Amino acid sequence: MIQLKNVREEFDDLVAVQDLTLSIPAGEIYGLIGPNGAGKTTMIRMTCGLLDPTQGEVRVADVDVLREPERARQFIGYLSDFFSVYDDLKVWEYLDYFAHAYKMPESDIPGRVTEVIAQSGLETKRDSLIRGLSRGMKQRLGIARAIIHRPKLLVLDEPASGLDPKARIELRNQLRSLRDDGATILISSHILTELDRFCTSLGIMEKGRLVRSGLLQDVVSAGSKSRAIRVHWLGDGGAGLQSVLSAFAAVSELKLNTTDGEFHFSGSYDELSQVLASSVVSGVRILSFTEAKQTVEEMYMKLSSHEVM
Amino acid sequence: MSLLFWNNPEFVRHRRAELRTTRAITFAAIVLVICVLVWLGCWIERATEMAAMHRQSQQFGKPNGASLAQMDEESPAKVWAAFYSVLMYSQLAVLTFWSLLCCAQSVSGERERKTWDFQRATRLNPPELLLGKLLGEPVLAYFIVACCLPVTLIAAVLGHQYWRSVLCAYLLILLGAVFIGLAGLWMSSLFESRSRGVGLIGTFTLYLLFGFAGKIAEGSHFPGLAAFSPLNGLGSMLDDDGQGYVATIFGSPVSWLRTSALLYVSFGSWFVVMLLRTLKEDFDQIRPLSRWQSVGCAAFLNVTFYALFSPGLKDYSMSARQFATLMVFINGIILFAMGLATVTSYERLKVWWRTRSQKRLSLFAEDGPPWPWLALSGAVAYLLLVWGLFTWKNVLGFDRQTLESGLVQFLAVSIYVTRDVLFIQWSRLTHMRAPVLKGFLYVSLYYVIAMVLSAVFAVHSNSSGQTVLSLLTPAGVLENEVTGFHYHAVVFVGMVTQLAAIVLLLIAIAAKVRHSAVLSAATPD
Repeated sequence: MIQLKNVREEFDDLVAVQDLTLSIPAGEIYGLIGPNGAGKTTMIRMTCGLLDPTQGEVRVADVDVLREPERARQFIGYLSDFFSVYDDLKVWEYLDYFAHAYKMPESDIPGRVTEVIAQSGLETKRDSLIRGLSRGMKQRLGIARAIIHRPKLLVLDEPASGLDPKARIELRNQLRSLRDDGATILISSHILTELDRFCTSLGIMEKGRLVRSGLLQDVVSAGSKSRAIRVHWLGDGGAGLQSVLSAFAAVSELKLNTTDGEFHFSGSYDELSQVLASSVVSGVRILSFTEAKQTVEEMYMKLSSHEVM
Repeated sequence: MSLLFWNNPEFVRHRRAELRTTRAITFAAIVLVICVLVWLGCWIERATEMAAMHRQSQQFGKPNGASLAQMDEESPAKVWAAFYSVLMYSQLAVLTFWSLLCCAQSVSGERERKTWDFQRATRLNPPELLLGKLLGEPVLAYFIVACCLPVTLIAAVLGHQYWRSVLCAYLLILLGAVFIGLAGLWMSSLFESRSRGVGLIGTFTLYLLFGFAGKIAEGSHFPGLAAFSPLNGLGSMLDDDGQGYVATIFGSPVSWLRTSALLYVSFGSWFVVMLLRTLKEDFDQIRPLSRWQSVGCAAFLNVTFYALFSPGLKDYSMSARQFATLMVFINGIILFAMGLATVTSYERLKVWWRTRSQKRLSLFAEDGPPWPWLALSGAVAYLLLVWGLFTWKNVLGFDRQTLESGLVQFLAVSIYVTRDVLFIQWSRLTHMRAPVLKGFLYVSLYYVIAMVLSAVFAVHSNSSGQTVLSLLTPAGVLENEVTGFHYHAVVFVGMVTQLAAIVLLLIAIAAKVRHSAVLSAATPD
């Protein structure tokens, strides 16, 4: 759906995006994370055709965004972090305006406006002036605007910025529903837990470069050299477990309490199964022995040096 | 692109927001009330005038009964004619002021509200956006004019106005509103939200210029420039006394209406060209004209000045030499403005530097340094001077010495302008905030210092003051007494000095760009 080839953006003597190459297949929910100034917004704006790259090629749905911007725009829905809406319009008028601006067929527009209003839960506000809506409702209206023309790609730049927890939950639910409808979504966010539950792929940007990119689980596991293993046992098996685990060179950072504990294991899954077997054989009554999945947040904190250009 | 503006989404948006039913009814009612008040005002004025006439007739026998009766008979028509005149001027004022005010805040306002990117992200193309904004932003003013229209037509009929005159007056008002709206939109496209205040100041200045162009151009050698103000055209249709001076195009008198229409269409076209290039661009990537278009614009301005030139004033007639000097001076301003418009951004200049060896004619590339284009524009302007002098040869004369001195003048002015523009280009590569503005201010400071130094030296002797001025500024070359190439040596010394300054500036720019381009290309870790 999105192809960036050697894309570079320079502002004065700053290189905001450095020779970035990225391909996002259709149907992916691609999360983009990175510190402020990493180049996320610049990359997103180039993808939407709002900023011409200094060099390189940007294609959306196989259309060159630079050469055929008007054609490419029919495939893209865009929402930025802090945005405003036309307060002096009614909700339906606002959506009707953008439906026309995206050059949807005239006959489709009234039905689509009604459909999107219902999808956004704004039915009761259809004829209200936008200035009377709450921040969360305006955000929902913003997303409704971005999807009014049924874009194949939805680009969201920090969509949860400035939203209260309730509005964030609403936003997440709305995006989930779009994901279920098969939309490709490129989303940048500082709220890493949101992305954890939501994305299928992840990219980490720093200093204008994509330092990691791929499927969520691959990126998350690639960030760690060892697995965190959590173990629970019954009765007084702590000492026995301690001696069993200490015998394995791949075990590190061992922390055992009275009935549970955690350790890091740098070996393979085969070796890990041997650890479990040895523990059981030594008489420790294991209740659970599970790998503690690393969250995006933990992985990001490990990976990122948090350098800002 | 559809010209059916009423279906344009941007126009529809403004119409919906501005003309909700209750608001529209309120405005229509207010307009009607004001019309009634104005009519009453006109009637009272005429009635007072007639009462005075009657008293005068009774006391002094003048005017006599017959003429008084005729005046009484004509009185209603006079009231309606005066009413018509007030209505026309009022519609002109409302429409042009509102158009300028709304359009001048349009794009910058959208940027400030953070809605502009969403418009840019739609499939509306620049012509559609332009049309929608141009007519949509001041839609309330157009509605007010539409409300006034039936009343105006009634006043025109009862005031015995010619239909052609009414049509022409409305055409002029609409053209003026569209033109000034375009100028406002153009200004607005060049201002980011934070500079909106500066934009508004510019807007009011522009409106004052628009309104009082007639007064400014009245005493000049370019009276036709007064046609930028629609007041002259409207006045010539509404008032009997006219303006006392006329617009000329290549020496032939042309009506104010036609001159205004010509200026609005031609200058308006340049605004359209610039807006179509910039409307959907990111603010930092805006460049109003391409390099070739800038050369074309400079040539267009030259041709306009030659066309609107009027050699004779009441008590003064111009010589070819003076005309050449005047045009060189004007071209200095045009070239400087063109230079400012073609200053290359840091980013583009870096890319040009990295790729210059791969491209033919790289010096004339769109993203290259501005000086080759200034030289080209200077050459075109000189050729146009030759053409202009030839065109006006019957009035001003045409001789070799004027062409020779004109050549030296053009050369000198081009050198000084190139130096100033290169300084601003260098400023653009520094970390100064608002580098172009600051570069401009530094250049202005330089000229102030040069003038003060000249004044200080002039205390010792006038000639040494002149020498300093000729050495540091192009003032020496604009002397009218010199013929041919026989300028004082200090003028040439000044030119050579400035050429050395240009070389130094080019070295400084190259060093800056080379350093940055190498760093960027290295893609640091």
